[in-house]
Amino acid sequence: MTANQIILLCMIPLAAGLLTVPMVNSLHLSRLVGVVALGLNALLGLTLLLQVSDGSVMVTNLGGWPSPFAINMIFDSFSGLLIVASSLVALATYIHSFSTLQPRIERRYYHPLFMLLMFGVNMCFLTGDLFNLFVAFEIALMASYALLCIGGSRKQMSQAYKYVVLNLLASTVFVMAAGMTYGMFGTLNIAHIADIVRTLQAAGEPLPTGFTALGAVLLMVFAVKGAFFPMWFWLPDTYYTCPISVAALFSGLLTKVGVYCVARIFPLIFFAGGAGDDWLVPLLAVSACATMFLAVLGAVSQSQVRRILSIHVISQVGYMIFAIVVMTGYALAGAVLFIVHNMIVKSCLFLCCGIMEKHAGTDNLNRLGGLLKRDVYLAVLFFIAAMSLVGLPPLSGFFGKLIIVHAGWEEWWWVAVFALITSPLTLLSMLKIWSYGFWNPAQDPIANHPAPKRGELRAGYIGTTMLVVVALFLGFGAEPVYQVARNAGDQLENPSAYINAVMGDRAITVIEAPLEDASDKREALTLKPETENQKPETSQ
Amino acid sequence: MTFVVAVCVAIIFGTGVYMLLGRELKGIAMGVFLLAHAANLSIIAMSGSPIVYDDQTGESQIKAPPVVTADETLTATLANTADPLPQALILTAIVIGFGVMGFLLSMIFITSRATKTLDIETLAEQGRADAEEH
Repeated sequence: MTANQIILLCMIPLAAGLLTVPMVNSLHLSRLVGVVALGLNALLGLTLLLQVSDGSVMVTNLGGWPSPFAINMIFDSFSGLLIVASSLVALATYIHSFSTLQPRIERRYYHPLFMLLMFGVNMCFLTGDLFNLFVAFEIALMASYALLCIGGSRKQMSQAYKYVVLNLLASTVFVMAAGMTYGMFGTLNIAHIADIVRTLQAAGEPLPTGFTALGAVLLMVFAVKGAFFPMWFWLPDTYYTCPISVAALFSGLLTKVGVYCVARIFPLIFFAGGAGDDWLVPLLAVSACATMFLAVLGAVSQSQVRRILSIHVISQVGYMIFAIVVMTGYALAGAVLFIVHNMIVKSCLFLCCGIMEKHAGTDNLNRLGGLLKRDVYLAVLFFIAAMSLVGLPPLSGFFGKLIIVHAGWEEWWWVAVFALITSPLTLLSMLKIWSYGFWNPAQDPIANHPAPKRGELRAGYIGTTMLVVVALFLGFGAEPVYQVARNAGDQLENPSAYINAVMGDRAITVIEAPLEDASDKREALTLKPETENQKPETSQ
Repeated sequence: MTFVVAVCVAIIFGTGVYMLLGRELKGIAMGVFLLAHAANLSIIAMSGSPIVYDDQTGESQIKAPPVVTADETLTATLANTADPLPQALILTAIVIGFGVMGFLLSMIFITSRATKTLDIETLAEQGRADAEEH
């Protein structure tokens, strides 16, 4: 299936970003443009997602070239779900920022940077080509560097270099890995590489030398971006320093992009080629345990709301790695569900923290208190979001965790045990915020802090409420979302639909069933072109 | 030829890592740039030798660019064509590297203005102080 609307998902934020540059001094106009663009993006993502809900894959070949040469934009259930979730998160944090961001900072090109970040993130989700993935990463990262330093306060600048330098290093290694891939396979198209790997595998021929090493290098790159266990130290130091809506956006999108790339590329290429079995997968499993457990311990030990939430971002990444380690379609469906849930809920908690700061002037739990009396509505929003994060049964976190633990229990029970221990600790860290911030009697500096003016926080409440409603929908309406996630998981486990959609009639079909008993393994390999799939439409 | 490029990559990488391990932000930035250049060079090394040897005659010739010349003859055959894609990759990477370099240097400038230092230890101390005072 080809569809040219996909490119709009990138073009709308880009156009809005360019449009807001000249109108940077008129706040209302640029806010309007931003809200319209993000809303359009979410709507478009939703319509396209409905179209692929039957398990089909949409592909656009840019420039009309045939497939291994063209730059592909691929929209399937996995990328679609993540694009819809990220657009919703972006819309909510953007609206929230109207009431929490200082106009001084907003005038420093906040709107264009925000839109360009969305452009990069959407392109990461859509692209089907390793080098364009690098380019998309760079677009998103450049915007995020600038957003991280926006305003240039001492607190931000003394920490920002960690994020920037670490990500630059990862990008450098990513360029090299892309070069290595091209040297090994002669192509950079992910579907094409997957196809070649499967063909070699079925023919019993050896994979190129250094295949596993390439996997390890790419894993290191995505581990830095996704804050997996040994590469996570830049995250808690930097996320808490930036303006709260930016922190919410980062926690919702950026680490998940890293996880998305691992979930997309590794089952498709490296695990299919058997690169993971010896040590890559066990390594990931250990990393998943450490990520979940150590990060949640770190979160419990902190006493500032922002820091608790920042460190907690990492802990949740551990569950997603666990699902990728298990690697069945069921587990990957759980991962997809969990990523979507986590994007929404985590950003929502940050947004709640922003309103708390507006009320109290601080996010230090030792000085907070009495917020329950002061603002019952905020307490309700925070409670729902926190309990969703913990995973109380009717709420959204429960289903993803249940599927992941259930799928991994047989083979990876020790990782599952860590996942189960992490849950009560998550509850503990959330209860810490709840009891200190909301239940404790208000102490002196907070009790006398002037309440925000009427209407000043309206945008903040609108943004937060949006995300809470989406989180509730993910919990109570989990069935339709699960169906799409199940599609995504199945497509990740058995990517023939993906490969066929991208490669069209150039795809080399591998019949997998009679492989074991075929005396000559080459017979199992048919090199005939796929007949159902007509030639890719080159121009539209 | 590939070997020479590979040795160059190794040397640049070593220097870059050494500078990255320094204590000052300027040095770290220079280290990052060196690493980026090493990565670009390594793509050249991976894209194969620019010279093709003919086993029969023992002659060697430089690979031709895959373009049609003015008299519409394609001088290059598949055997002796240079692959343009690695160079396209490197070009893109260099351009992105320029952008990043500009950003990183201006970030360092702003850091020095906001924190009055470029020493990593001092920056870390300031970070701790900010966290406690908050």
